[in-house]
Amino acid sequence: MSYLTHSSRAEAFVLDHERTSWHDETLWFVRQKRDKAVYAVPEFQELRNLASSIKDHTLSRLDYYLEKFEAAAQANGVRVHWAADAEEHNKIVLDIIRARGATRVVKSKSMLTEECHLNPFLIQAGVEVIDTDLGERIIQMRDEPPSHIVLPAIHLKKEDVGETFFQHLGTAKGLTDPQQLTEAARQHLRAKFLAGEVALTGVNFAIAETGSVVVCTNEGNADLGASLAPVHVASMGIEKLIPRLSDLGVFTRLLARSATGQPVTTYTSHYTKPLPGREMHIIIVDNGRTQQLGRPDFRASLKCIRCGACMNTCPVYRRSGGHSYDFTVPGPIGSILSPNIDLKKHSTLPFASTLCGSCTDVCPVKIDIHTQLYKWRQIVSEANHLPTAKKIGLKFMGSLLASPTAFKLSGSLGRRALRLLPYGLTHNKTVNAWAIARELPEPPKQSFREWFAQNQPESKA
Amino acid sequence: MSNSRERMLAAVRANKPAEVALPTVPDFWGDDSLERFSTVLAGIGGEVVRLDSLDALEATVHKLWPAAKLIASPLFPPTLAIDANTPTDVLADVDLAVLPVEIGVAENGAVWLPETNMLHRALPTVTQHLALVLDHRRLVATMHQAYGLLPEGPGGYGMFIAGPSKTADIEQSLVIGAHGARSLVVLVY
Repeated sequence: MSYLTHSSRAEAFVLDHERTSWHDETLWFVRQKRDKAVYAVPEFQELRNLASSIKDHTLSRLDYYLEKFEAAAQANGVRVHWAADAEEHNKIVLDIIRARGATRVVKSKSMLTEECHLNPFLIQAGVEVIDTDLGERIIQMRDEPPSHIVLPAIHLKKEDVGETFFQHLGTAKGLTDPQQLTEAARQHLRAKFLAGEVALTGVNFAIAETGSVVVCTNEGNADLGASLAPVHVASMGIEKLIPRLSDLGVFTRLLARSATGQPVTTYTSHYTKPLPGREMHIIIVDNGRTQQLGRPDFRASLKCIRCGACMNTCPVYRRSGGHSYDFTVPGPIGSILSPNIDLKKHSTLPFASTLCGSCTDVCPVKIDIHTQLYKWRQIVSEANHLPTAKKIGLKFMGSLLASPTAFKLSGSLGRRALRLLPYGLTHNKTVNAWAIARELPEPPKQSFREWFAQNQPESKA
Repeated sequence: MSNSRERMLAAVRANKPAEVALPTVPDFWGDDSLERFSTVLAGIGGEVVRLDSLDALEATVHKLWPAAKLIASPLFPPTLAIDANTPTDVLADVDLAVLPVEIGVAENGAVWLPETNMLHRALPTVTQHLALVLDHRRLVATMHQAYGLLPEGPGGYGMFIAGPSKTADIEQSLVIGAHGARSLVVLVY
């Protein structure tokens, strides 16, 4: 089976120049807000080191912390479930819903349930699932996946949202004011919250010593859902654990500043015990994570706290859009997580990078993202998943760069060819993909070698 | 289910790296002034109002929210009584909740609201407007000190709240009042 490449999927997005530029500039603006928030905290780099070390430690004793967390949560009256894969996770959720005879589910943001494709599974089983994060609700109405993990509808313009709400919520045709559109969604979703029978949430942090799960939102949708519905189900990957409540001091100071440049999210909610007569469930999910833990070069990707900073800063993500990655988590972090799940399908994602390293620089838990991108490229190549043209091109360049004579000769040939050949040939888009949206440089008269030979300082002569 | 538990734990044991130490987190201190707290809270859409004393609370509330009809609070005789068993349709009509908070964090404008201070778990988010009452002696500089003040853990349910509910999901335009409280005032005495 063949899959579309990242660049071919990006082509559709970049067709609209104006929108691509807007996307690029908007995410860069978020990156700048992040910088401003980060520079205001003198110990920020120390916090990154601490966060990285706490996560390293937790992964090195993950079995211990999982059991400790489970025991603490059970002592709190929480029912703990374990799911090896997406299918088992979804079945557990449906069983909990069915046991209550419930049909109305309100859901706050959870990339894990996106990863498990929970919504279509529940809808097919006759359950009404309403995404309650505004961005998620918008894309749910449009039947689209999120294009960013923190800003799920960042690929849309307010005109798109206005049209969607006109169709689904009956707002006035042509309404594009974000304030009024948000108010319409507030009224629509408030009715859903009040009627919710089961609330699903994700988990930002799970605290081993107290058995609590912590959920961070700006809208308050997780709290409205979970505190009104009689049943709360929180889904988490095994990597969400942190050892101590006090570790949250480190992570809550990093998360929102890295994500959106806010000093902290509006709501940082700690769910520990269900009320009498109510239910709280936690589903601990593997779905490929223990396999990634066993890859020494890539296990650090499990330290990710899903802030999205690597996306906002990535020159490729900003100009290609989240949908071009065709994976639940797009951008640089998604490009090192996805090959673990399906190397062939996602084989072009490690190449959707300039390896500039900006992702690594902004990562609040210091994941060596660009190094891992480079290492996945070696594995993709060894597994023979490179497109033929790239394989031949890389082989050719490899032998060229390995031979000083061939390198010298090709340089002089190239300079001459650029001067002599017609523009239509040197910039032919079929022969030279580089020239699709770029000009080739003016060829220099001589190479550096030739220049150096003529201009060697006399003392060295 | 238990089968998956054993398989997952076995896979973790087989695949985890060599143990590395858990670091000690230093107690990063900083500016814990009310000025700092007020500035940061204003920057995220909230507001600080000073009270001369707790005695001035009720009058101040009526002055600041003259239009609020249904007010819930454990701090003065409320216009609407709320407890843990209040049904959803009653909760849905609350105009204003006035609740005591335990800690204020100067670096980010957040306050700690434990379940025991909420009357009902949904009240802080279902109310249209929210007023939180803070003792100025309970201000700390950073989140490290805030968690340090919770030696017994976070309780059954508790939240740090920093400003009113907000979203920027439509073209990154900031809109205050997404699903939770449309406005947030911290009354400091």
